Amino acid sequence: MVNALVGRKAIVAKLGMDAHWRGAIVVANALRDAGMEVVYLGHALPHEIVAAMLQEDAILLGLSSLSGNHMTECPPVLAGLRKAGIEDVAVVLGGAIPAQDEPALRKAGIAAVFGTGTSLKVTIERIGELVGEAELKRQRQHT
Amino acid sequence: MDASMGAPQDATTDSGIRVPACAGPEHIRPGVDQRTGRPGEFPYTRGIRPGMYRERAWTIRQLAGFGTAADTNARYRKLLQGGATGINGVFDYPSLRAFDSDDPRARSDVGRGGVAVDVRDDFDDLFAGIPLDRVSVSLVSSQPIGAVPHFAMFARAAERRGVAREMLSGTSQNDFLMETAITIAPEALPPAGSFRLECDLAEFTLRSVPRWNPVSVSGYNYREAGADAPLEMALTLAHGQAVVRELLNRGLEPERILRRVSFFLDAHNDFFEEVAKFRATRRMWAHWVRDELGVKDAASQRFRFHVQTSGVTNTARCAQVNIARSMTQALSAILGGAQSLHVNGYDEAVSIPTEQAALTALRSQLVLLHETGVARSADPLGGSYLVEYLTDAIEDRAQAIIRQIDAFGGIVAATEQAWVHGELARIAFATQKALENGDALVVGINLHAEDDAQPIEAFEIPAGACERQVERLAAVRKRRNGAGVARALDRVASACREGVNVVPAVIEAVDADATLGELGLVFRDTLGRWEFPLW
Repeated sequence: MVNALVGRKAIVAKLGMDAHWRGAIVVANALRDAGMEVVYLGHALPHEIVAAMLQEDAILLGLSSLSGNHMTECPPVLAGLRKAGIEDVAVVLGGAIPAQDEPALRKAGIAAVFGTGTSLKVTIERIGELVGEAELKRQRQHT
Repeated sequence: MDASMGAPQDATTDSGIRVPACAGPEHIRPGVDQRTGRPGEFPYTRGIRPGMYRERAWTIRQLAGFGTAADTNARYRKLLQGGATGINGVFDYPSLRAFDSDDPRARSDVGRGGVAVDVRDDFDDLFAGIPLDRVSVSLVSSQPIGAVPHFAMFARAAERRGVAREMLSGTSQNDFLMETAITIAPEALPPAGSFRLECDLAEFTLRSVPRWNPVSVSGYNYREAGADAPLEMALTLAHGQAVVRELLNRGLEPERILRRVSFFLDAHNDFFEEVAKFRATRRMWAHWVRDELGVKDAASQRFRFHVQTSGVTNTARCAQVNIARSMTQALSAILGGAQSLHVNGYDEAVSIPTEQAALTALRSQLVLLHETGVARSADPLGGSYLVEYLTDAIEDRAQAIIRQIDAFGGIVAATEQAWVHGELARIAFATQKALENGDALVVGINLHAEDDAQPIEAFEIPAGACERQVERLAAVRKRRNGAGVARALDRVASACREGVNVVPAVIEAVDADATLGELGLVFRDTLGRWEFPLW
């Protein structure tokens, strides 16, 4: 259990048509073990991911891709979230992400990139921090 | 377990089989000579041919596919010039799943992970200049929804070049579990519908394309998704048995089916367990064919398989060391008697292989074949106390899982009831936890994780490949006769609904320039859509 994550909601989605589910499901299991409620969305188009974030009021969005489609699929998700006014969430990306792509992804609004070989410990700790930050933003907005 | 087995943490294989510090005759059950036999003789534990690689070297079949058909054709030729002896053609994600390149869901994956194909013309370009009457082609059309149209397009492209269907030699992967348990995708067919398409294609090619392997029953992809070695074996064998039974029900003679069904296994890290896996799986298949089906024909009892080295074992950090991993894995496949082999490129934890990585992998195979002498003698580890012990032990484990699958009512039912998904996900999570706990060690991950190697360059698909493919598709849509396409698709839909073999109607449809995505839609509308029970 991770305090910042207990009882919070996460959406895990696969980008485009990438077929590899192993990493996404392993991380989804780890998020659940850390206390989160996980909605595994499977494949979804950017606007479908945004709609699910709105409907579920999730604080974490975990995107996964191993096909190389992340540079075309991530920006529309992030733009869609902004357009929908969803700012107080953490969006993270995992999978086969070449190091040279990271700066552009971070700039587009991906809060953390968990490449191949990242441990669950590191992943969950970092997600705990990011969700904590998103939670602070939410509290500030409500006061 | 006897005392000589030692402490569990030092003494178990990847799948948990306890092994002694030094195996001896005391670890082998009586009757080992009968269980192993001679190479080329029942039960084929030691290989399917008496002389194994002296008789016929394994096929060097490096996976390739990216961008457009023209891009991939150039890579095929490069590999053949470099010593490859067969083609192993992989398709991009939308093409595997029967979506067109201009579909909104497909656009960001066109040409990724494989070659983009939409219409028959793409197969003209894909195999341009390749002698299809001499070079065998494995179509890694893993999912039946794509495999049926891909084969139709391939066969018609070949025929239009004057290569008769009867001359074509190769394989369709064609595996319903790929569609319903392994490669998640939007709008998968339900297991029964996918299995039916798989068997339609198998039946068609068995009847009219005599040198074609109608199914490459895959264990590889289950292993990569999470399975351990015994589960990989059990899923492979249970699926192979289901296909054979269904084709027997369709009136095909057992020998005709069994001589052509082929298999596809993983070569993972645990060296001796993997060798044992290959030997035991071969033996189990031979026993099933003889004892359950009563088929005495030797060629029908031989389990022929392709191997790919394990992608999940490769690391993005210190990526060059993947060459060592892949080489060891490849060695296990050869000592295990594989008929065909792909070695992964060292950069595949990051992207599909660069040309340099692909050629290095190809040359690794040539080193194994020509420099090391490992192919000299059949089943060189046969008779090793450890390997014979492991071969027996892993057979017992796989057999127990097959009984479990049978209790569900077979592999299709076990998939429908989400048992397959649950097992894969459970073992995948446990494997990751073992890594985190330090129970499993991986160089570059939790052992010497300092990355002092040169960073590797990720492969980029040729710029504009997606746009070029979409333009080509638009041109075909424009030139074709729309009414003719609609009529042809109607005939495919009727075949689906009426339960007659769909392949002849699909061949007519691809001749009318129906697209892969249009055919996929017909299959989904008639056979159904299925939600993956992964979570």
